[in-house]
Amino acid sequence: MRIVKLPKERFSELFEALKSWGEVHAPVKVGRFYSFKRVESLGEFTLSYTRTMIPPKKYFVKPFEDILKVHVEKGYEPIVEESKRIVLLGVHACDINALRILDGVYMDEIPDHYYASRRSNSMIVGVSCEPDEYCFCKSVGADYAWTGFDLFLHDIGDSYLIRVGGSKGESIVAELTGVVEEPTSIDYVKLRDYELKRSRMFRRSLNASYLPEVVDSLYGSELWAKYSDKCLGCGSCNLVCPTCRCYDVTESLDLNMVEGVRSRRWDSCFLRSHALVAGGLNFRPTRLDRFKHRYNCKSSIDQRTGMLFCVGCGRCTVFCPAGIDHLEVLNSIWGLR
Amino acid sequence: MAGKVRVGFYSLTGCAGDLLSILNIEDRLLEIFEKVELVEFVMASSNVKPGGVDIAFVEGSVTTEKDLKALKEIRAKCDRLVALGDCAVWGGVQASLTGLDPRELMKSVYGTEQNLYGFLGEHKPLSEVVKVDLELPGCPIEQEEFIKAFVSLLRGDLPEVKDYPVCIECKIREVPCLVVEKGEACLGPITVGGCKARCPYHGVPCIGCRGPIKDEANVAGELLMLMEKGWKPLDAINRMKLFAARYKDLAKLVGRG
Amino acid sequence: MAENPCLPKLARIVDIVEMTPIEKLFRLEFVDEEDAKAFNFKPGQFVEVSVFGVGEAPISICKSPTRPGPLEILVRRVGRVTNALHRLKPGDLVGLRGPYGNGFPMERMKGFDILLVAGGLGMAPLRSVLQYAIDRRDEYGEAILLYGVRSYQEALFKERVIELIEKPEAARFKTFLAYERDDPVFDKLREKHPENVRKGVVTVLFECADPYIKPEKMCAVICGPPIMYRFVLKELVKRNFKPDRIYMTLERRMKCGIGKCGHCVVGGATSIKYVCKDGPVFTYSDVLSTRGLV
Repeated sequence: MRIVKLPKERFSELFEALKSWGEVHAPVKVGRFYSFKRVESLGEFTLSYTRTMIPPKKYFVKPFEDILKVHVEKGYEPIVEESKRIVLLGVHACDINALRILDGVYMDEIPDHYYASRRSNSMIVGVSCEPDEYCFCKSVGADYAWTGFDLFLHDIGDSYLIRVGGSKGESIVAELTGVVEEPTSIDYVKLRDYELKRSRMFRRSLNASYLPEVVDSLYGSELWAKYSDKCLGCGSCNLVCPTCRCYDVTESLDLNMVEGVRSRRWDSCFLRSHALVAGGLNFRPTRLDRFKHRYNCKSSIDQRTGMLFCVGCGRCTVFCPAGIDHLEVLNSIWGLR
Repeated sequence: MAGKVRVGFYSLTGCAGDLLSILNIEDRLLEIFEKVELVEFVMASSNVKPGGVDIAFVEGSVTTEKDLKALKEIRAKCDRLVALGDCAVWGGVQASLTGLDPRELMKSVYGTEQNLYGFLGEHKPLSEVVKVDLELPGCPIEQEEFIKAFVSLLRGDLPEVKDYPVCIECKIREVPCLVVEKGEACLGPITVGGCKARCPYHGVPCIGCRGPIKDEANVAGELLMLMEKGWKPLDAINRMKLFAARYKDLAKLVGRG
Repeated sequence: MAENPCLPKLARIVDIVEMTPIEKLFRLEFVDEEDAKAFNFKPGQFVEVSVFGVGEAPISICKSPTRPGPLEILVRRVGRVTNALHRLKPGDLVGLRGPYGNGFPMERMKGFDILLVAGGLGMAPLRSVLQYAIDRRDEYGEAILLYGVRSYQEALFKERVIELIEKPEAARFKTFLAYERDDPVFDKLREKHPENVRKGVVTVLFECADPYIKPEKMCAVICGPPIMYRFVLKELVKRNFKPDRIYMTLERRMKCGIGKCGHCVVGGATSIKYVCKDGPVFTYSDVLSTRGLV
């Protein structure tokens, strides 16, 4: 993979090049946290941030969207949105790895149209980050993005070393001729030092080897209930999770009773209807069942990428109103602490 | 179709805000009512027709003997009965008085222990008295939810029942979490969504006006959460009682003191 | 890009047969001939059926691809969509997506005898297997059908089932029937054919069928209400059926049918599966390695 160097004082030129490719969306501070929003100028966003509440998945599987028009006599037709190019600027490695997992699900042998077309119209620009007290991406091998981006910016102090991930990234770099430079061996030393420093900053860890087997085998542990009693079943952990991807589908007619829409909405496995079938049988009737289901799902391996379904972003812990700590649950089930 | 669907709107004890909400859908009101034969809607028209109805929309709690009689009559003459609003679904704010001595209540308001208006002693939701086919929660109801349900009912269907809390809608709208960020006493996690998280969106914690998620809301967990954020148990319980006093798990919590 | 998998194709209801007070057989034909040509299914696969303005539900295909003519689905009126479907009339249009799911491994079953165990509505997908095996008789061994129903009223294809029991020589397979509630027709049938008809749940039939059950050269195919599987599996295990020759088709909540929406996900952390895509047909080996499958 090609690496180029961009002096930070010339970052605005990269920003302009990205803007000329498409709408740039970057982390903007909202409340105590951040949100990917459309930005027009450098002052509106930051590349040095902890985490957004809602991960980048929102650009590809929309939180709520109408997917089909329905007519009571004629049936369905797709709702085609105007395609527009979007640059996600400042995506962390964990979120890039999560998108790789989602890509595998949504663009498999039967690709989802809505997802696939948005994904092909997007550019992912990653940025290196420093862990806070909730991050454990390193434990699950998601702290580094080998692939899944178009450009990846590594902060080495006065410059960024930029890994160029593909043709879209190349096209941007091509526009920056004379702005980007060839990195020197000293730059690589800086990069290594940065990575070593970052690596030592992780304060939390999860023993990811054996995790699927352990979580599955200890399904009967009484400790689950200690946490599921506390759990409010609100689904926040699912919606903020960068790999949670369940959606519900509903259909309704307008007041004219002739036309309507079929829509889909982010769903949560904590909701009653998630495993409920017509006739009233619920395959996961209790909050305990659903709690264990979520932890099993997150502790399983994605066969396509070989990665754990949890990328260690820490969102589910940070945004759980009941204060349930994902790592504490897993560690305690495992008999640690 | 043989004739239009016959529809009636009825009021028991409450502020009449749910029926008012329907009348407030001004721009689409004619479109709504041209589809049906309106048998009774006293707030809108003094013209009350005799006979049964296909769909009865009932707001208000069952508070008085008069309510009880009226509700049973409505049930007997309708095919589908829809409870409109928190009073009809959960007994309303008045139901937060559940457990208090009715004579004391009478005395504190009217200065006499005499039962002046056939008070039943408590404020019940419709489902504690008769079979209810559909419940549309809210204080008041959501107009959009009413229209969708109305269309669905006219076609002979029932709309899907919402099983998700306000938190889901906060996340969908990317509203910063008032519990996580500010430690506010937000009832979003136990309250059924459908309001598009209107209050949290404006920075106001949810007070639970759409009622708890039936059979699901973890009120003990909510209490624990609020206590961990520094709220006094009594304050937290009172907050939940405002709209959820007749939710069985909350009643249990209150019973335990 | 390939076509939008979320978009239902138009199909017309050509015929509706009332099977029981709560179940109807719908015969469907695609409006567009191209759609019909592209629709190649296997026994055990399902379709997502849409009622315009109401929604979509997954329904098993109830006929064999070896039979020409319209697609057949057997629908119990049990939820919003199926209730709305029951209100439709011949000539009305519906939406169809599919076929989805893995289906029964008809190839792997070649050369084997087939034991079909159906409970109630579970008859619908098994009818597809049965027709297939009959139509390709040379490729399969003997077939045995064990059918359990609650009552005469709830029995599906009952005229055919009675005929199969009354005139076994005309049938190319053995049929056994179990029913739970007293009923004059079934009671009479039981008196005449005590070796084929029993009172009780479907598992009581194993005893009757034992002379014909040859586990070493037999595949078992099961479909019924969720509660039924454990009991039937116990009987099969007792008779030394090989775990990977026991096939069953399972029900779960499904929205997309194509492994995206996540509702049908089952299993523990080591065995996560999508019922819609990895199933709905699973083997007993899958059951042993997947938490909570039955």
